Amino acid sequence: MTGLAFTFPGTAPTVSPLARALAGAQGIDDLSLLGKLEVRRAVTRALTVSADVIPITSSRTLVVCPSKLRSELRRSLPGTVFDVTSALAGIAVEGDELLRRLTELDLDALPAAGKVAEVPALLSRRGNTFRIFFPQEYGDSVVEIVRDAQAGLG
Amino acid sequence: MRLSPQPGEQIDRAHELDFTYRGRRVKAFPGDTIGSALYADGVRVFSRSFKYHRPRGLLCCSGACPNCMMTVDGTPNVRVCVEPARADAVVEPQNVLGSVDRDFLSVVDKIGRPFTPVGFYYRTMIRPRRLWPYYEKFLRNVAGLGRIDKHRGRTTRFDTEHRTVDVLVVGGGRSGLRAAREAAASGGRVLLVDENPSCAQPEGFELVAPGRAIGIYEGGLVPVESGTLLLRVRARRIVVASGAIEQPLIFSGNDLVGVMLPNAVRRLVRDWSIKPGTRAVVIAADDRALSVVDDLVQAGVDVAETIDLRVREVERIEASGKRGRLQRVLLDGTAFDCDLLVPSGTPQPAYSLLAQAGARISFDPARGAFVPAELPPNVTAVGRVTGAFGAVVPTRPSHGGAGFVCVCEDVAVKDLKRAVAEGFDSIELLKRYTTVTMGPCQGRLCHLASIRLSARELGQDESSIGPTTARPPWAPVSLGLLAGRPREVAKRSSLQARHEAAGATIIRTGAWKRPHSYGDVAAEVRNVHQAVGVIDVSTLGKLLVTGPDAAAFLERLYPNRFADLKVGRVRYGVLSTDGGRIMDDGTVARIGEREFYVTTTSTGSDAVLGWFEWWNAAWRLDVEIANLTGAVAAVNLAGPLARTALGALTDTDVSSEDLRYLDAREATVAGVECLLLRIGFVGELGYELHFASPHSEHVWDALLERGAQPFGLEAQRILRLEKQHIIVGQDTDSESNLLDANLAWLPSFDKEDFVGKWALEHARDRASRERLVGFEMVNGTVPAEGSQVVRAGRPDGRVTSARWSEQVGKAIGLAWLPPELAEENAEFEIRIDDRLERAIVRRRPFFDPEGERQRA
Repeated sequence: MTGLAFTFPGTAPTVSPLARALAGAQGIDDLSLLGKLEVRRAVTRALTVSADVIPITSSRTLVVCPSKLRSELRRSLPGTVFDVTSALAGIAVEGDELLRRLTELDLDALPAAGKVAEVPALLSRRGNTFRIFFPQEYGDSVVEIVRDAQAGLG
Repeated sequence: MRLSPQPGEQIDRAHELDFTYRGRRVKAFPGDTIGSALYADGVRVFSRSFKYHRPRGLLCCSGACPNCMMTVDGTPNVRVCVEPARADAVVEPQNVLGSVDRDFLSVVDKIGRPFTPVGFYYRTMIRPRRLWPYYEKFLRNVAGLGRIDKHRGRTTRFDTEHRTVDVLVVGGGRSGLRAAREAAASGGRVLLVDENPSCAQPEGFELVAPGRAIGIYEGGLVPVESGTLLLRVRARRIVVASGAIEQPLIFSGNDLVGVMLPNAVRRLVRDWSIKPGTRAVVIAADDRALSVVDDLVQAGVDVAETIDLRVREVERIEASGKRGRLQRVLLDGTAFDCDLLVPSGTPQPAYSLLAQAGARISFDPARGAFVPAELPPNVTAVGRVTGAFGAVVPTRPSHGGAGFVCVCEDVAVKDLKRAVAEGFDSIELLKRYTTVTMGPCQGRLCHLASIRLSARELGQDESSIGPTTARPPWAPVSLGLLAGRPREVAKRSSLQARHEAAGATIIRTGAWKRPHSYGDVAAEVRNVHQAVGVIDVSTLGKLLVTGPDAAAFLERLYPNRFADLKVGRVRYGVLSTDGGRIMDDGTVARIGEREFYVTTTSTGSDAVLGWFEWWNAAWRLDVEIANLTGAVAAVNLAGPLARTALGALTDTDVSSEDLRYLDAREATVAGVECLLLRIGFVGELGYELHFASPHSEHVWDALLERGAQPFGLEAQRILRLEKQHIIVGQDTDSESNLLDANLAWLPSFDKEDFVGKWALEHARDRASRERLVGFEMVNGTVPAEGSQVVRAGRPDGRVTSARWSEQVGKAIGLAWLPPELAEENAEFEIRIDDRLERAIVRRRPFFDPEGERQRA
């Protein structure tokens, strides 16, 4: 009966869960509308499109890709795949100094799953840029905490 | 009072700054501490003692003892000997009545001593009991430390930072530095923390100074206080180089102003180029302490006598003076006039952090101190903390007279003796009774002495008495630092911006912040009964259960049947715990042969997800569970005009023939893929629309354009109460089961098994103690939720929900009643304020009891 189309965004107008919270914010990029797929197994082989692969557990993986490549990517992924594009919000921020005030995850051992800004999150890094993915319903709280931590660093 | 420039001095004489002390300006150089600047200015009495208000001066000059504690810029209990001098600081003495030089409370010392022996307030201030609050207030005013400015904490920002390192070195002395350099040389992330802000330059490692390790917790967690920053360091290996602490000797007059430990003298001379006194007597038990003589000579102090306890015993020391200041010392009867006495005993390794980490601590009679013996893995100790401080001699527990064992709490030798005489024969009890080691120094200067004196009084050796338990915090820490930033995490629906724009009152329910109402609750209720309302129910937990065994899985989890649920149909379900108690409720829609869409209560979603995953792991069924709570937004469109509003936004047939009560359909509404569930919590014709959350504003706007008016949680609570629909957690508690909660129709006892079946069968065979029923008030007063049901003057039941219903024209509610009262039309009484009000049991819904409206 179902392709679960009601669980991920379609063609109608969309709003990022962080749209309001990020108004006027600096140094925080919104990644919420990127495509996100949760694979119920480890993803070890190379993917057909450019994507971030973040292990959640040994048998669960988050794959992040440009939104329009979602369906193509989904077809190429093994096992059970859930489209969690609308479940997770995401932000990109800069600097170890900031992240040290947000999480006790080891910043030299990323990607990893754990608590970031007091909420369950997935954290990856590329150079000095960190990507944080977390349940979208925490969006306002996470942005508030990140902005407060930025303010503390001056 | 300053000496000519000394090699290695810490002060910058090219610049000057000044701060205020007791209303006057005091000059300081950068590099000074407030304490050193005051000493250079001629201040000798720095504080008054905790209990007897005796004058006290610099003793340790290293932040260990309580003698220099003052209030700085409103912050009490600042140890000014280590607090860097800063321009325009306002420094005041604390715990005095009058001034620090003339403290009227010193009357306690002069004439009050016979009345205030150790533990006096346990004996003399206990009757009559109702006066204790006044006694306590009096004692708190007379004894104690500085006063907290209740408003100040809010203006100080404290931050928390997390670090993961390979090696953490605590202490930047010679051994600590060497350990840090070696660890850095072999690769890896190395962090060194040291109390002294002018610790050496880092070489290949990171340095935090000033930084004080507060404790060592499980998993190698070491919180480090660094000003207003708390570092939570997790280290694979911890190197403790915390050194050893100079120990005072116990003798008559050992707390006089002018009695100083060697390190205090050393710092005054070397770091700040201050002449500490004019004529000095030195008594030492090791080379390091003895070397202070060189500093005294360098500073031009006349050294009247030097005693190396390793070569010459001194049995009796008696210091005396005037107005609390040292003038004279008698050593076994020989008198020396002096204004500076530098006595010290065997140093005590600062083992506390090691003990917290799990090290075994034992008494070494050869050194006369406690030393760390066995260390836990991943923790090493280097330097003087291991007890490696060269040749020492165990010093006497006491050199006679009425000396103070503990300067923090004014515990004298005779207090310990008295406590032992009263029968306190264990060190942990002695500690609690006398409060020795419990003051600001946390035992740094009194732990060893108190154990050695107790050993002497009890006729035991120190090993059999043992050390007291070492607990964090090892360094004093403000509560603000421990609390960190106020971070209040809440979940919010993707429609929150719309609610706030519409002027909704937002309340917190569990983890969620959601609209209570949009202004007029009664109008919102009326609108649902008469037209069409819409409420945001995105907060509902939403789980997808999928896989070949999905039906079997739910069949075993829920007390009622799900295996026979047809695709496209919805069924109400209540989860039971193993003990048969109600855990959560919600709906289950079968949206495919192998796919079920489960909703939970708003507050129960995380627990239900965990419950499902736990049983899935236990049963090893072929099922995948996905949490869609945030992915999917949901609204409930309800009211007699709901079908019209919905029909205008979709091509799907929403007629009562095609979309029946308890049907589930996927449909496109306002261009958005939705799952439609025809169910109703509020009792009118209703549809739940579930759709991807990024589309929520688009769908919401479209529904409002079609005439739906938003309603909030309060309206929903009234509407559901009219139908006697329960809210799990509000109307049920951890003891409630399905049978008592009016849901006896739900469990299928003929199923082979389900979670909680055994317990429910037992409950079924027992008489129930109480039942959940509806009631209406006779005179219309709405009882508070939680009100008592009273029978024959005794509480016998409780109200769980109550509201005024305009539709019914009555105050209605739900209550737990004893079974004999839980019959239709039975009357009972509810306590409201101090009155008893009559209520009548109503076991059927107050509104539309046949459910015709929601099935329409």
